[in-house]
Amino acid sequence: MSDVAGVGWWGEKPSPSLAWGRRLAASWASTLGAALVLGLGVGAAPAAGQQMDHAGHRMPMAEGAWRMPPMDPNMPMLPGLEMALPPVAPFLAAAGIDISTLPEARPSEVVEMAGGDTLDVDVSIVRRTLNGHEMAMYGYNGQYPGPLIQAPQGSTVVVRVTNRIESPTTVHWHGVRLDNAFDGVPGLTQAPIEVGETFVYDVKVPDAGMFWYHPHVREDVQQDLGLYGNLLVTPPDPEYFGPAHREEVLVLDDILMDEAGAIPWGEEAPTHALMGRFGTVMLVNGETDHGLDVRPGEVVRFYMTNVANTRTFNVTFGEARVKLVGSDVGRYERETWVQSVVIAPAERYVVDVQFPEEGPVVIANSIQAVNHFRGEFYPHVDTLAVVTVGGDPAEGSTADGYEDLRENAAVVAELDPLRAHAGREPEYTLETTVRVNGLPLPIVVSMEIDTLYVPPMEWNDAMPMMNWLSTGDQVTWILREAGTGRENGDIAWTFDEGDLVKIRVFNDPDSFHPMNHPIHVHGQRFVVLARDGMANDNLVWKDTAIVPVGSTMDILVEMSNPGDWMLHCHIAEHLHAGMMFDFTVRPAP
Amino acid sequence: MRWSSLVLTPLVGVLALGVGGATLGAEWEACLQPASPEYYQFAMVPTGRVPGTGNARGTADVWFPHTPFGVAVSPDGSYRYEFRLRFERLRLPRQGSFVVWVTTTDLDQVEAVGELTDPAAFEGEVGWNKFLVVVTHEDAFDPEAATWQGPVVIRGMSRSGMMHTMAGHGPFEQEKCSSYGYE
Repeated sequence: MSDVAGVGWWGEKPSPSLAWGRRLAASWASTLGAALVLGLGVGAAPAAGQQMDHAGHRMPMAEGAWRMPPMDPNMPMLPGLEMALPPVAPFLAAAGIDISTLPEARPSEVVEMAGGDTLDVDVSIVRRTLNGHEMAMYGYNGQYPGPLIQAPQGSTVVVRVTNRIESPTTVHWHGVRLDNAFDGVPGLTQAPIEVGETFVYDVKVPDAGMFWYHPHVREDVQQDLGLYGNLLVTPPDPEYFGPAHREEVLVLDDILMDEAGAIPWGEEAPTHALMGRFGTVMLVNGETDHGLDVRPGEVVRFYMTNVANTRTFNVTFGEARVKLVGSDVGRYERETWVQSVVIAPAERYVVDVQFPEEGPVVIANSIQAVNHFRGEFYPHVDTLAVVTVGGDPAEGSTADGYEDLRENAAVVAELDPLRAHAGREPEYTLETTVRVNGLPLPIVVSMEIDTLYVPPMEWNDAMPMMNWLSTGDQVTWILREAGTGRENGDIAWTFDEGDLVKIRVFNDPDSFHPMNHPIHVHGQRFVVLARDGMANDNLVWKDTAIVPVGSTMDILVEMSNPGDWMLHCHIAEHLHAGMMFDFTVRPAP
Repeated sequence: MRWSSLVLTPLVGVLALGVGGATLGAEWEACLQPASPEYYQFAMVPTGRVPGTGNARGTADVWFPHTPFGVAVSPDGSYRYEFRLRFERLRLPRQGSFVVWVTTTDLDQVEAVGELTDPAAFEGEVGWNKFLVVVTHEDAFDPEAATWQGPVVIRGMSRSGMMHTMAGHGPFEQEKCSSYGYE
């Protein structure tokens, strides 16, 4: 069995930063511990006489103590686990602080920046009300999501981040090929920003597209509590994308709550280490009731970002036609019609949607969930947002030209030559697998039975009890290098600037309990050359791509940015369960 | 063999060399041989009801059709698959046709996919999470037929069909199946 003790508190490579991790963990734990002693008296152990209300799956405990996450009341409790709790302490933000004293968070604001401009960003504790519950959460400049930063392509903007939450943090500029020192990975590119300290990020933005920023310290907690925002890098060409009447942002998220509020997070290590922490409340732009008014015929460009810990969404726009025009780092070779948008954690997609008819249009997450107990798929739809179409019709060539699908000659000229690499062997192959150590026996037995069939994707938390009880101390998710057998932080890759490196990622379906993984490469960009041996006929630059169970994905990474960079699964709990390593790109002589 | 894509991908790539423009040429597309993830392959098993087919064997390879998203689903979230049937020792009938169907596991939906004219290679599509592939012996292939009339020659079930209720089994041995709608 693997020893996961080397996995740091915030998810960086265990060595040489382990000392930092332990110190920070101790720091945060001591802070929390003091708060708990003073305030709530929260502990990991259940109080004597606790009774699981199986009908409602509730434990009659204080808000800050462990409560079992909501689960289908028709599903029986796994025998032997009725009183089980995760073997870590529960954590809620601002424990011991009167929530009413916290500043109320406000919606995201747009910050237009020019090259050289400076933005001050405070990372702070805020008050939010979700589903009728006042909660302490985190915010960038007190906003949900954080400020939408707009910057012109090719510029460098300065973001001065001050940490005013209760634990260390950093800011990672996801997908941005900026200078290595500002990538926001503690222990690798910077020291964590301690409470009360400031770090200045020079954010160089060479590529157009919709990017995002988030912590790289306990993402499973800090990001889930609201620390995320978009960075829109605008190209100089006003016709970079086709015409649209307006542009909107859709930041997709979920948060795990029950009738008492947020289910606590794990303090020393993440809970939900098996499948990641699926939420029960859907959030769009931080809201539970996001809405939009548009005119009939209006073409709306949606910049979609998935900031959820683990949930992959299948987003539908009612009966409206959806034109896919861009993804993580720019435009596709060719625009295409799609019926829905499958967006994995950390991915971005850009779609143009025309709303022809008056009336409401529901933007929904439409999935076939799995009920492992019954052995069934079942349809499940969550409303994400409602578009109200009404008023005077939108007019002009924008509406008329919506039917056109563009081929982007410049993108084709840049990306098509990369197809020549489809035919050669990859330089490296990574296999994904998982090891567990110390999970309760009923969970292990149930998982072994369950793996008679593993779906390509986990769209929902089909085993919330087992998932909740698994922590990052008991589960090790693994990226294993084929050939050497090296795993996670032991993988040692060095490249030269300018290298085009082909990497194959194989999601091993024969591992103990496989799951889909969104693979993210820091500081570089890549194209997905092929999946399961089938060539990709419409390339786009990416920084994150999903690998379903059993599938093989070939990516070609352009090593264009010198420094030490991470490669990891972007399911927050998998990252903290070890599924990561770093590689080096040496500068060109 | 798990790494079937290792074998096939280089071939695809070699054929791709020198291909210009964004649109793949038809000849190149024809050469693409998607490598089915072995995990989702399933066996095609004869019924023995049709003379001369009892020793037939077959495999269904299953993969996602091309999608920008890496996983192909319909708007309701159902997986979309392409499949390829490969049979051995399956002789085509002298009279009538072998017809390939897909159906849900409870047989409430049936679709005719096509006539099996090459036992070594037949490709089709299916949009259900759990499904059966059924080959029957019909008088003729009728793409509008609601279901089959002739005997089943050979059939197989998607890997997802192995996902079965735990009621009454394993750790849920004490759960009564009847409580969950099972008889």
